[in-house]
Amino acid sequence: MKSSQQKPPFIKILGRTSRNFLAMLPLLIGIIGLVGLFQELVSPEKLAALFQGNALPDTFIGTLVGSVAAGNPVVSYILGGGLLQQGVSLYAVSAFILSWVTMGVVQLPAEVECFGGRFTLYRNILAFFFTVIVAVLTTFTVQIL
Amino acid sequence: MKPKTKPFTFRGKYLFTGVAVLYGVLFFLQKDVMLLALARSGSILVKIAPIFLLVILFTSCINFFFQPQQIVAYFGHESGVWGWLTALLAGFLSHGPMYAWYPLFEDLQQHGMRKGLIVVFFYARAVKIPLFPLMIDYFGLIFTLVLSVYILIAALIQGVLLEKWFRMS
Repeated sequence: MKSSQQKPPFIKILGRTSRNFLAMLPLLIGIIGLVGLFQELVSPEKLAALFQGNALPDTFIGTLVGSVAAGNPVVSYILGGGLLQQGVSLYAVSAFILSWVTMGVVQLPAEVECFGGRFTLYRNILAFFFTVIVAVLTTFTVQIL
Repeated sequence: MKPKTKPFTFRGKYLFTGVAVLYGVLFFLQKDVMLLALARSGSILVKIAPIFLLVILFTSCINFFFQPQQIVAYFGHESGVWGWLTALLAGFLSHGPMYAWYPLFEDLQQHGMRKGLIVVFFYARAVKIPLFPLMIDYFGLIFTLVLSVYILIAALIQGVLLEKWFRMS
């Protein structure tokens, strides 16, 4: 009875956690490999060229493009700043920089593996629609202020 | 009786093999692009390796200091406002790519963390405090503040909606 309630030493827990993490390494390296491949094959400029200059469709395009893109959020800010200068609406740019961080098509296999298909589907659907809503509300509020 | 331990198996073998095949095909089609992609992936791995170490250490600390019942109390369905606020705070304090945090949250979920809090964490990550100066420079102070507030509200609503959605289905 006594032994079952004893807390295992930290080093043992650390070993167990490291072992679990090691088991996930092919999954994580696979995702990193995909991100590297994607960044090399699809340049940010190619993605930026998809915008049409129309606020409503561009907001959806911004959300889609941001969710497909991968990389440091700094890149999304720089690109977003450039898009604003090119005349792309703030609605679209907000959606673009937001979905860049909150969604990730490339990392979907890892999300499914860790949290299950249903969770991943629901989370990404919610993230998509809320990104559009937040982008619209932010732009609207900034214009009022 | 000795506690049962899960047999060690690698996860994501098919994904890893698929990506390796992609790189292999690219090697024959566009060797330069493949090498650049490989170098880029290597540099990403080096950059996020410290985050992986942090995640391992953090997961171990949680498992050492907290019993599963405590994790359920802090992050389970009875966690209340504390759970939501902690998830929000953890979200906007976290660094690195989203997938680096998957192992930690998978572990917490297995110990009883509610799904809504995971959603809140992943959406609140869009608020990047260290990048505020850059964001303000590009988009202005008002935009940055307004966007951040809406992100946090949206994160909470999504967490609640996801749990409702799960309960309904």
